[in-house]
Amino acid sequence: MTFSMKRMYAIFQKDVRDLSKNMYITTTMLMPLALAIFYSTMDEVTMDMHYLIINLCFAAVGVFVQSAIIAEEKEKNTLRGLMLSPATLPEILGGKSLVTLVLTMATVLICALLMGYEPANYMIVGGAILISCFFYIALGTLVGLLTKSVVEASVLALPVMFIFSFGSLFLTLIEEYPILSFIEYLPSVQLVELAIEVETGAVFADLWSNFAIILAWIVLASLLTAVVYKKKEMDA
Amino acid sequence: MTEGLIFSNLEKQTKDNILFPNFDLTLAPGEIVAIYSTLNVRKMLLDLLRGKAVPSNGKISVHGKTLEEEKKAYMSAVNICFYEEGLYERLKVEDYFSFFIKLYDSGYRMEELLLDTQLQDKRRVRIQSLTESEKRRVHFGRIIIQNPDVFIFEEPDLNVDMETRRVYVNLAKKLQEKRKASLILTGNLENALTVADQVFRLDENGLHVLQVAEEEESKKEEVHTEEKDDEAIKPFQFNKIPTKVNEKIVLFDPQEIDYVESNDGQSNIYIKGESFPSLFTLNELEIRLQHVGFFRCHRSYIVNLQKVREVITWTRNSYSLILDDKAKSSIPLSKTKMAQLKEMLGLK
Repeated sequence: MTFSMKRMYAIFQKDVRDLSKNMYITTTMLMPLALAIFYSTMDEVTMDMHYLIINLCFAAVGVFVQSAIIAEEKEKNTLRGLMLSPATLPEILGGKSLVTLVLTMATVLICALLMGYEPANYMIVGGAILISCFFYIALGTLVGLLTKSVVEASVLALPVMFIFSFGSLFLTLIEEYPILSFIEYLPSVQLVELAIEVETGAVFADLWSNFAIILAWIVLASLLTAVVYKKKEMDA
Repeated sequence: MTEGLIFSNLEKQTKDNILFPNFDLTLAPGEIVAIYSTLNVRKMLLDLLRGKAVPSNGKISVHGKTLEEEKKAYMSAVNICFYEEGLYERLKVEDYFSFFIKLYDSGYRMEELLLDTQLQDKRRVRIQSLTESEKRRVHFGRIIIQNPDVFIFEEPDLNVDMETRRVYVNLAKKLQEKRKASLILTGNLENALTVADQVFRLDENGLHVLQVAEEEESKKEEVHTEEKDDEAIKPFQFNKIPTKVNEKIVLFDPQEIDYVESNDGQSNIYIKGESFPSLFTLNELEIRLQHVGFFRCHRSYIVNLQKVREVITWTRNSYSLILDDKAKSSIPLSKTKMAQLKEMLGLK
């Protein structure tokens, strides 16, 4: 079947209209914004704080919104209608991912502006944030595919949000519990490391390992999503 | 190439049960056919139609193609209007329609669609604040946009208001004019009889014809003669109608009865929304009841005229009687009987 941009765009438009009236989801988006305002009143905002908020945006918007809008289609029995239409699943998921991407990037941008975050190299930091976003969207899609209702999705998204957005807070525990050393390789931690090095004047050549790890996470999440997708075939 | 939807030698068994034995049914363009069945059979038919279940035997084909052979062609030729269909409740009616117009790349115009579904004044209302009947019309709008060759309606007019039934009947007639085929799957005989040209019953005994468009008129004569005989011995006739309830025989006063429906040779008497199996056939009941204001309004129905509140004309040859009971039951009225009824009412 051919992939139609027109149909994907129709789904994108529909979801934007639908989301704009969905209080449940819009209020979740306010959480990182509220925290950003709170932190911005502090005298000095450290890099860790900036990224705590940015990672929270990824988790609360990227993962949560993506999983919720996929799960809601199942819950409300509307997916069957879509599946019986000429729209294919890649188009449906593509349209939804686009919505989430736009929303996530917008929230990240607003948060960064609120907190006055000014990276030394916009290209590298912007690129890293964008590709991290892809990872979280893949993760959200995975959660959405695995669950059958919005409530289920938000329950499952909670530990995911916790691990990936607050992971960096546990870095100090690694010395005590070596078992936690995997935390260093979390995409969120890698993103913080990358950003800190950018501030010290690092160029792309110094940062390839961080990028590689984040990319590896994207590949992993996409593979998992693809496997689940094949297995479930969206039992609408 | 064969046009339309064809069930050939289709059979389905689940575990130890036969849901339905093999049957053949052809739905040609411009035909409206209703299949009256239980919920189980209906759900299975719908699953078979969209390839969710595999038949035990036989196949379903559209324009000579089965689902397996050509999925895309099949899917674009058939569309199902489910009874339990989700809606994007937060969208406005017009946004919902415009989404599906884009999705199907359909040439339908919004104005036309709103007119066909009678939702003009609701176009800027969110779907969640519509009534159930109006939501049903949104479903109809969607299937109009899809515009397949074969329309399948699951319980199209169950639990809806009069306006929605009218929209639906008009839609069915319009589709017929456009040479589209419609298949109605319902558990409500009255609904099926109002719209369809042909009504079948499908159960574990197979597919049976319940009604064909032309009705035989042979019975009329004998009815008339007997009527005269009865009138002669009119005074003091015992006139209670016996019914079976479990092992008991319960007698009802004719004036309590709302209407009588015949189903597979068994006539059921409806009283205040409850049905009681009668000990007589519909013909016998007709003879017993016609002196007390009952009227055989359809091959399978006798109605108590005292309880009729409205006569609705859906199209030139499809009518319904609306009763004055709690449920506002509606009873089909066939074309030939309409003339007779008009005569009785003194209208010419």
